[in-house]
This record gives sequence, structure tokens and C-alpha cells, in this order.
Amino acid sequence: MARKRNPARLVIALSVAAVLAIFLLYTSLVAQGTPSLQPSDLPGRTGNVTLGGLVVGRPTGNGHDAPLRFTIRDRKGTATVRVAYRGSVPDLFRAGRDVSVQGKLQNGVFVAERNTLVTKCPSKYTPAKKQQPGY
Amino acid sequence: MADLGRAALIVTFGLVLWATFAGAWAARLGRRRLADSAANALLAALVSTAVASLVLLAALVRHDFSFTYVADHTSTRLSRAYSVSAFWGGQEGSLLLWLLVLCAYAGAAVLLNRRRAPDVVAWTVPVLGAVASFFAFLLVAVASPFATQTAPAEGAGLNPSLQNPYMLAHPPLLYLGYVGLTVPFAFGMGALLAGRADERWIVATRRWTLVAWTALGVGQLLGAHWAYVEVGWGGFYAWDPVENAALMPWLAATAFLHSVMIQEKRGMLKVWNVLLVLLAFGLSLFGTFLTRSGVVNSIHSFTQSSIGPWFLGFICVVVAGSLALVFARLPLLRAKTRLESLVSREATFLYNNLLLVAFCLTVLWGVAFPMLSEAVRGEPRTLAGPYYNFFLRAFGLPLLLLMGIGPLVAWRRASLGSVGRTFLWPFAVSVAVGVALIAAGAGSSLPGLLAYTFSAFVLASIVLEFVRGTRAAGSFLQLVSRNRRRYGGYVVHAAIVLVAIGIAGSAYGSTREAKLRPGESMRVGGYTLTYRSLGDTRTAGAIERRARVDVYRGGDRVATVFPGKNAYFAEQQTSNEMAIYTSWPRAEDVDVIADQIDPATDVVYFKALVKPLVNFLWIGGAVFLFGSLIALWPDAREQRRLVARYALAHS
Repeated sequence: MARKRNPARLVIALSVAAVLAIFLLYTSLVAQGTPSLQPSDLPGRTGNVTLGGLVVGRPTGNGHDAPLRFTIRDRKGTATVRVAYRGSVPDLFRAGRDVSVQGKLQNGVFVAERNTLVTKCPSKYTPAKKQQPGY
Repeated sequence: MADLGRAALIVTFGLVLWATFAGAWAARLGRRRLADSAANALLAALVSTAVASLVLLAALVRHDFSFTYVADHTSTRLSRAYSVSAFWGGQEGSLLLWLLVLCAYAGAAVLLNRRRAPDVVAWTVPVLGAVASFFAFLLVAVASPFATQTAPAEGAGLNPSLQNPYMLAHPPLLYLGYVGLTVPFAFGMGALLAGRADERWIVATRRWTLVAWTALGVGQLLGAHWAYVEVGWGGFYAWDPVENAALMPWLAATAFLHSVMIQEKRGMLKVWNVLLVLLAFGLSLFGTFLTRSGVVNSIHSFTQSSIGPWFLGFICVVVAGSLALVFARLPLLRAKTRLESLVSREATFLYNNLLLVAFCLTVLWGVAFPMLSEAVRGEPRTLAGPYYNFFLRAFGLPLLLLMGIGPLVAWRRASLGSVGRTFLWPFAVSVAVGVALIAAGAGSSLPGLLAYTFSAFVLASIVLEFVRGTRAAGSFLQLVSRNRRRYGGYVVHAAIVLVAIGIAGSAYGSTREAKLRPGESMRVGGYTLTYRSLGDTRTAGAIERRARVDVYRGGDRVATVFPGKNAYFAEQQTSNEMAIYTSWPRAEDVDVIADQIDPATDVVYFKALVKPLVNFLWIGGAVFLFGSLIALWPDAREQRRLVARYALAHS
């Protein structure tokens, strides 16, 4: 167009660029995300991860005086890992539940960070009973 | 009975298919009677869907366990109200609710706009029909709520954390919001299909968008309040994918509500508005997909279900089809005017849109990150709270500030001098508040301090606007009733400020954990909590175990609270029952959680939180609803003005 260059465009383009730059810088430098793994992915891992899977066996301890100890198994598989955890234990926690917890593997035991244990509520949408035999 | 439900859904499916294909045919060839028939089919679909819904409702209330859905989501112990709420407690029922609400919105929107904009409505009907066809298809073929079985003696019951009054209102409100965004989308696409790129579709759907947006906003705050009082971890929002699923379309719709004003006033941003309405609708579909498909790990957990791929396919078709349509109609969407100055109302709206959409997309990035990283790196990675909180600050704080600046800047071109003069008072107020806050020790959190200083600025500028307006109009009531949209909007702005104050309060909270025997005490944020005793009460559905805890401040007992746990029989689950003591004069809550109870020794592991200003969130919610209602209230004068304007524009 013959009209003189609109300075508004430049400023708006610069604002878009600024927003994009903040986003890219933050995501590339800080927010790499935590890997979400299952027990079978764990061997060889040293960093912090989110471990998910099904609780099997009988949990011991209460998470306060003595660490809560339990075993997590792959959702579809047989690999398991023992977990030691301290902190709040969700109401829905029990054998058979799908849980996730953050921490890292130390000498074969997954040592969880405090208050990171989360259970998925089992009955909100599809009941799990049909798809997940085995418990 | 189940047969009746199934038949009604099949009839609905047929009707909405007719609305889609006959409607498209009629609109293309300009057949008036066929178009009426297609529109009537949408209305009839509302009736047949209502019949199907009544069948399911009756089965739920009568505890007819021969319906698989009823047996899976209720039990005979469940009260009537919660049996009704099981309608949306499961997947099939939720889909049926989607379809019912969609048909209701579609019927009402078509009825009200048929005469005003027949050419646009002719193309809107098939779009609405196509969306309804998708849900009717799912209900008929993939996830039927009317599957039957030999009736078991007792049902599985409803998740205890859903047995809460909030669950009666929260999900339906979210559905009103999600589904309501279909209306502006359908009218926008209808206008493009009809080759009418004027502002009528925006005028016709403004209130519908506002209704959907209000319902989504109030629904989210109710959900936050439910999480706060019921889930019992002392927070109200956890950036969970399912929570984000409701936040994203709300952000997109917020951007849309602002940018349509520029199109109405100045004829700019036409392409942008169509894209925003597509984004809002696409995100509402994506939200439903997320909550239903189990594709993302979420505490709301859904097992993998069969409808996920269908949803993904539908979203792709909607997005690709709409984008192709927008592209084909680009010549119609040329702006009539240009942005004249960077210091103008239009420009502040642009910045607001930029920030809202940027925040919306960063949330979307966070939600999709596990899927993307699995596709790229072969292992899913999740982004958690810090990621979202960073962007809430980076984009949310400037947005807050803009809320105070925007309304004071003139349209088209404002001189810097006049802007400086109008900002004098709000600026002075915010500086005074900032200094007072630093003196009071609020400097411990910089984002918190900024949020409160900006909040003061925005509130002062809103008050200034009301004062200036009242002076000009003569009376306060006249001012508001003559410009409901504008002043309702300011009230909503004030509500957002209250919500922001509530959120920023989290930065100043404190938390303590302690193991206590009866008689022992713990301290948290200036309060002393003394655990007295433990007791059980037996109710119809559960054993309620409660600890008696006295709350002291400065030596005086200010309250006695009863945190504990409920053990539900039928569902065989326990749920945490947090106790809240609200101190209104100090504007803070003391939350006491009995994290773990040892009934043998009466030892309780307590967690106590002091949450300053958290109640501003809920007050903000009420103000938000009030402001939206002002903006929504029918205004005969505005309607006449608009009709005259559009008659002029198209004569």
C-alpha cells in the first residue's frame, strides 16, 4: 500500500516476539519437564523422575513414623520396584490402585520425595474393573 | 425403559443428521422451506434428547440396576440428589448431558435469530447439526448410557469425593460453558459459509458467548472451592490437565469477548475473531477429549476409553475444515480501518488479546507436553506447577495492569498528556498501597507485592470511571442501566482483581505438620492448635471420625474445629474432611487436616495451613456473576441502536 508505514505493526510484532522469547527462553532453560516412567523404565536412571504404576502387595508403615513401603508394578507388565515414601498418604491409596510418586532410584529402592504421592480416583469416569483384571 | 432411551437417541441422531445435510442443501440452493425443516429438526432433536435424558434420570432415581450405567455409578444408600448427580458422574451420562445442553442452546439460538438474520442462520443450522451428530453418534454407537445387564443387588456407588453439594452444580455449569461455546462458533462459521462477513454474527451471539463464559468462570471457581473444602489438601488449583481443560477455553473466550468490541466499533480484527472463536470451541472439545480419553495422566484419572480416537478425529476435522473455510473467505474479512495509534483503546485490547492468547497457548503447551515429548524423545515428560506459575506471573501480572489502563484510554488516538492526567489518581493510590504493603512486610514476595499494587491501581481506575460516568450521567443507577455492557464489564474487572488478590495471597501462607497426642499443641502462623480428643459418629452411609481441635490466638480460644475422615461403607473408601476456621477480621483461613489417625492410640498426624486472603476468591466469584448478569441483562435501547445500525449498514 502507498500509505506510510504503520508504526503500530512494528510495536505489535515486537510484543509478539517478546512474548515468544520469554516462552522459549523459559522452556529451554528451566522447564524441561520431569520424565514420567514405569518400573520397567527405571534401571540406569539416576535423575529425578515421576514413577507411575499399580500398587501390589501389602504396604507397610504410615509415612510418618516409619516410611510407607510398597511395591509398584507396570500398568501392563511384570516389572516392579520397591518404594519408600514419607508424607501424606492419600485416602484412596491401597493395593491395586494406580498411583504416581516423584523421586529417584537409590540402591534398588525408589526413594520418594516428601508429599508427592498421588492416587488417581478410580471411579470418576469409566470403572476400571473391566479393563484391568489381575487384582 | 432402556429401549425407549435407545430409540430416543436414534431418533435424535436421525434428526440432527437431517439438520446437517438438508440444512446445508437448503442453504446452498436457497430453499426456504427446506431450511425451516432443518431448523425444526434441531428443535425436535431437543425433545427426543430430553426424552432419553428423562429415561436415564428415572432409572438413576429408581436405582434400576439393570442399567449398567446406574449400577456402576449409584447405590441404594445414595441420596436422591446424589443419584441425580450420577447423571454426569460417568462418561456416557456426561456425553448425554453434552448433547442435551447442545440441543437446548441450538434450539434457543436458532429460534431467537431466525427472523433477524435468516441467511446466517440457514448456514448455522447445519454446523450445529454436524456437532450434534458427532455426539449423537457416540451415544448411539460407541458409548451408550442405555446398556443393560442382569440387575445386581447393589450398585458400585458414587466416588465419595463426588458426594458433595458442589458436584451438583460444578459439572453442569462447566458443560453449560463448554457446550455454549458451540453457539458463537456455529454462527461464526455460518456467517462465513453464507459469505456474510459483517458483524451480525457477533451481535447475534454476544450474549450466548457471555452466558457460556460466565458459566465456565463460575463453574471453575465452584470447582476450586470444592477442591479447597472437600479434597482436603488445602489448595484450590493444582494445574491438573483437567482443570486446565476448563481454563483454556475460558481464556480464549475472554480474549474473544474483548476483541469483538474492536470489530463492532472499528471493523478491525475480523480474521482474528473468527480464529479466536475457533480456538475457544476447539479447546472446549479438546477439554472434553482430555477428560474422557485418558491420554494425559491426571489425578482425575480416567482409564483408557474407546471414545478418545473419535474425539481426536472430530477435533482434527473441525480445525482443518474451519481453517480452510477462513482461508477461502479471506477477501471478505479485510479490515475496514487501521490501528491509528499505539496509545488507544484498540491498542490496549490488542495487548490484552496477545497476553490472554499467549497464556492460553502456554497452558496448552504444558498440557500437551507429555504427548509431544513422548512423540519426540520417546518418553513422556510432565511440566508441573512451577512452569505454569511462571507464566501466570509473566503474562498474568501485565494483564492485571492492563485492566486498569485500558478503560482510561480513549478510542482511536489518545494524547499522552491526557492519559497522564487521568492516570494521576489511580497511580497515586497504587503507590500509596505499595508503600503501605512494604511497610507491613509484604515485600517478602515480589510477585505478591506487584499483584497487590496493580490490583489497587485497577480498583482505583474502576472507581474513577464510575465517578466520572456518574458525574456525566447525573445518577449512578442511570449510568449503569444505560451502559450495562460497559459497567457490567467493570464490575467483572473488579471481580477478577478480587480473584487475583486471593491467588496472590498464597504467596504469604504458612504450613506446619505435627504428630499430636490428645492434649498436645502445635503452632502455625500466630495460631496455637490444641488437639483435645477423638470421636466417631455413625451416619447412614459412613463412619465419621473427628478430632476435636481448639484454635487459640493470643491466648484466647477463637474456635473449635473438627477435622477428620469419613469411612464410606458401600464404596469402601475413606475421604479426608478438612476443617476450616475463617477469621474475617484478619481475612485468612486456618485449615486443619487430620492427615493420619491411629484409632488405637488416638495419635493424629496433623497438617495445618494458614491461608491469607483465600476467601477473596469466593467473594470474587459472586461479584463476577453479578457483573456478568449486569452485562447480560436485556437492554432494549442497545438492541434498537444495533438494529438501526445494521439496517443502515446493509441498506
